[in-house]
Amino acid sequence: MAEDGYVAMDALDAYRQEAGLSHGELWLRYFELGGMSTGFNVEAFLYGVLAPSGHDHDVIAQALNERFAELGGDHPVPYLTV
Amino acid sequence: MGIPPPFVVGYPFSGSTDGGSGWRRLALDLEVPQRVCAMSMTKETPDFGAVTSFDDGEVTIALRGTAEHGSAFALGAILDAAIDRRPASMVLDVAELESLGATGLLAVFDAEKRLAASGVTLTVRSPSVLVNRLLGIMESAETLRRERSLPRGGHLGPEQVGERGVLSPRFASNLSGEDLRRVTALPADPDVVDGALRLIVELARISIRAADGVSVSLKRHGVLSTVAASDQTILAMDADQYSTGQGPCVDASVKGHWFHAESLAAETRWPAFTPQARSLGIKAILSSPLRTFEKPVGALNIYSRTAESFEVKDQEAAAVFAQQASVILSDARADVSDTKMAIRFEEALRSRKAITLAEGIIMEREGIDEEGAFSALLRLALYQGVPLRERAEAMVLSAKAPELGPEWGIDG
Repeated sequence: MAEDGYVAMDALDAYRQEAGLSHGELWLRYFELGGMSTGFNVEAFLYGVLAPSGHDHDVIAQALNERFAELGGDHPVPYLTV
Repeated sequence: MGIPPPFVVGYPFSGSTDGGSGWRRLALDLEVPQRVCAMSMTKETPDFGAVTSFDDGEVTIALRGTAEHGSAFALGAILDAAIDRRPASMVLDVAELESLGATGLLAVFDAEKRLAASGVTLTVRSPSVLVNRLLGIMESAETLRRERSLPRGGHLGPEQVGERGVLSPRFASNLSGEDLRRVTALPADPDVVDGALRLIVELARISIRAADGVSVSLKRHGVLSTVAASDQTILAMDADQYSTGQGPCVDASVKGHWFHAESLAAETRWPAFTPQARSLGIKAILSSPLRTFEKPVGALNIYSRTAESFEVKDQEAAAVFAQQASVILSDARADVSDTKMAIRFEEALRSRKAITLAEGIIMEREGIDEEGAFSALLRLALYQGVPLRERAEAMVLSAKAPELGPEWGIDG
């Protein structure tokens, strides 16, 4: 996991809220991109209760970033493995 | 099931000397027990057929095709003929029936009443929730007309409507045996729902004495429009309300309350709309809200050319029709959202498959693990500014690696 890509606790969930996605919708998008964790675990990642692997983190980041792109924005969520 | 040669019990006629048309009944020879009688319609009701069978006092009538308008008369004649035989019980099998119009429903309902008077049960065998529900609607309306009334001058607000939400159709309880309870969901197809709403409009017009016109307004994609109306005047009346943003129909649809304009001559609530309604001869309007999942989504509007004509029992009946329309809409909406979810999930699986395949291609080519392949694919997508799925699909389609470049981030 890249040190400079450190994301503060709760930050991922803040992105989710900003992107206007429900937990369920975000999980479906995560699943769509090949994510393997359960919805429950993904929620735990978002709130910083569990630490995601770099891969899981980046799948979530990509799901969020694609949503931001759909809304006409940039890719604000940093990646850890790219 | 082998159908014996057609056994005609009646014939439709039109263009008689008095200009009328309808169904003329012939004597039905049912002397032979166990005999299966088939009936086929003439060219005027080509889409309707009935097979009547007798078995030790039990009559079973299986219907197919559409039973509305002309064929509903035929249905009435068949039911009359069977009732005249004084059966011990009667089963109406409508499983093969494609559609049952309001006039067809009335024929069934009349038969049920006649049989009930002599203590005979009519069982309607139907796989359709919708058919059972529509029969139930008629039952509730009839029950209301006969037995129920609010105190004179009482107002029927949303609370009262809610209290009566448990009006369960007696028909449903008559369906005995598990096989009869075999039900399929109401199709979510908007055409079917609109058809059901049109039926409700027609039933309301027939059964509410003061109703000169009935319509259903529904909010779809945030816009209020009329999905069913008994005639053009009513359609125009609704349109006037949408365009002025005023009127009982708009208010009932938006606020979710019941609105009753007892006399438009004295009405002050909708100054922009009321004169237009008066000019079309409308004197009283009763709008009851339709709700799905507690949210107002539309209204059932009943118009009368006579002021102060909606009596309490009419208000009750209107509330029942509105409630039943709401149930139909809620069912349909639930179905639609399930279908949407299924489609969404299927899409997700497709996307997932493309990404997994693309990862496999990269893994094979580059000799890296799955997570490394995901990162490589992600870099490629970011480099090209396209969604991950799109990049993966392109890779799978071409089934060959693009030129290796710095965007791969793999030391090639």
